[in-house]
Amino acid sequence: MAETLTSGKLTIRVVICLAVLVVVMCLCAVVGTQEISLKKVFAGPGQKPGENIDYEIFVGVRLPRVILAALVGAALACSGVILQAILRNPLADPYILGISSGAGLGAITAVIFGITWNFWGGSPMAVFAFAGALGTVWLVWFIGRFTGKSQVTSLLLAGVVINAFLSAVIMFLTSIAKSDQLRLTIYWLMGNITEKSLSVLGVSAACILAGIFALFCISHRLNVLTLGEEEAKGLGVDTTKTRAAAFGLAAFITAVAVKLSGLVGFVGLIIPHGVRLIFGPDHRQLLPVSGIIGGIFLVIADTLARTVFGQEQLPVGVITAIAGGPFFLFLLAKYSRKVSWLK
Amino acid sequence: MKKEWYAIALIWLGVILFIGVIQLISNHREPSQSVVDISNKPNRIVSLAPNLTEILFALELEEQIVAVSSDCDFPLKAADKEKIGTFWKPNTEAILAAKPDLVITLWFEQQKAVADSLKRLGYRILTLKIEKIDELLTAIQNIGTATDRKAKANQLLKNINSQLNNLQLKLGSVNKVRVLWVVQAEPLRVAGRNTFINELIQLAGGENAIGNTLQQYPPIGTEEILVCGAETIIQSAMGKSDIAEQQKAAEKFWSKWEHLPAVKNKRIYVVEPDTVTRLGPRLCQGVELIARCLHPDIFAQKQNTAQ
Repeated sequence: MAETLTSGKLTIRVVICLAVLVVVMCLCAVVGTQEISLKKVFAGPGQKPGENIDYEIFVGVRLPRVILAALVGAALACSGVILQAILRNPLADPYILGISSGAGLGAITAVIFGITWNFWGGSPMAVFAFAGALGTVWLVWFIGRFTGKSQVTSLLLAGVVINAFLSAVIMFLTSIAKSDQLRLTIYWLMGNITEKSLSVLGVSAACILAGIFALFCISHRLNVLTLGEEEAKGLGVDTTKTRAAAFGLAAFITAVAVKLSGLVGFVGLIIPHGVRLIFGPDHRQLLPVSGIIGGIFLVIADTLARTVFGQEQLPVGVITAIAGGPFFLFLLAKYSRKVSWLK
Repeated sequence: MKKEWYAIALIWLGVILFIGVIQLISNHREPSQSVVDISNKPNRIVSLAPNLTEILFALELEEQIVAVSSDCDFPLKAADKEKIGTFWKPNTEAILAAKPDLVITLWFEQQKAVADSLKRLGYRILTLKIEKIDELLTAIQNIGTATDRKAKANQLLKNINSQLNNLQLKLGSVNKVRVLWVVQAEPLRVAGRNTFINELIQLAGGENAIGNTLQQYPPIGTEEILVCGAETIIQSAMGKSDIAEQQKAAEKFWSKWEHLPAVKNKRIYVVEPDTVTRLGPRLCQGVELIARCLHPDIFAQKQNTAQ
């Protein structure tokens, strides 16, 4: 590695990024189709609904939405980092590996078959999304192992094939869905961020942050993993265990994110790459910084989605793909000499 | 090295506990949230759907409506009201800015999501499922109750029923005409049996040419078209401006299947969409529009005798 990463440096960078995230979140919460005055927002809620609209819009509509976008962005970006590290492949991302479509399939199954029971606090959609994500991970993993020794390529291929297969199943299910369910699933497939209740936000935040923290705890092992199977074993890292833990955790945070916002693409691919190009490939830094920048990216994307055409809101997935593609190409062109994959 | 695994396990234990606590709190709070004040007569109503707006106007609540969706265009005065985003994607902020004391929404996911977040802020919401004629009639009654216009609502229901009865009398015991109802030409999608359009067709003295299908609005292939034996094809126009042009396009499109009775006898109609795609107070106009396509002879006769 070109530079050594001290814990001081890491802390400073993470704190700076966090500060930027908070500033961006505040700015984005002030922007919207309705103009609101901060003075009135700080005056607090009125006695009854409708008395202080500025407060209601800020606290009841925009803040939950901005927080949600940040959470989803962080989860998807971190998941991308992990998958790229495990597979040692720059193309890996929760979407390409089929984890998102697995989660999506789970959630859509719950919607279409009208499953309404409540499982330990989670809505059936969340539970099915998680089961779908884990199931897909297992399947990709299993096929990848089964097909041969060059695990990395076959894992990626298995992911691509399973993703295509699951997408087809999703298409099939939406085509037999009744029309009112169809409307939901179509929006959902495009990636859609809306306001959620505080308890949903709290639970999701706890899950995603805990997942990212756990991944951070094993991030130095991920560094060793990127050196290659043999080298990692030589350095005394249990590769199977680390991979399994990282894969499971990545699937978990992806499932939570997918359940919250549907299939938002591109975040898991461009954010880790961007961060790697600018800050270098050390996972102890890459993971938290990618998470935070992923949050910033999605907060901005969602703000654009809800303001750019006035009252008519776009699905956020459209914005992430349109804005993300060129941005990534720009980064690639500018820093391509810095890319270091196996170093 | 083992330490980290313990740390991770501990964190997860924490998360599980946290979720449990949140669940307890939110379950505990739920009942108090749904209390809404029904005794007040609403003075600032927001409607999120064209048919809801039509019902509100029919109940003479024009002055009380403060904002509608951008798809609400009937009666013409509805277009002058403030807009709160589209029917498909209402804008919660804009709804709040209209300072409503009653928000009426339809029962489907996008609108339910908006309704939920407004409910959390303590607003009074009326969510109505209007996908069948029965549900329309109940909805009119519910809106009447919620807006303190019960008498008007009953009057409106009576009118709708008597108009429907008159139409039935006029039609008498006609032969049922087999209708193919086209929702979208390319790729071809038609109305199935489990739709309100099917109900309208039956009321207009027709029968859906398509049998039971899995989907409400199934896409169909050439084979299906050939065997359905449609005697009349009706297509609701896209937009309202160039219906004549759409009529020409439809005739050209269907000329491929010249053996289909509807094509042979030139019984292809492109109709104004609003009264037949919205379940609202103009229900009978919609049924009559369809009936005129199915039984032009009856209506021609009546006109002659009237003259």
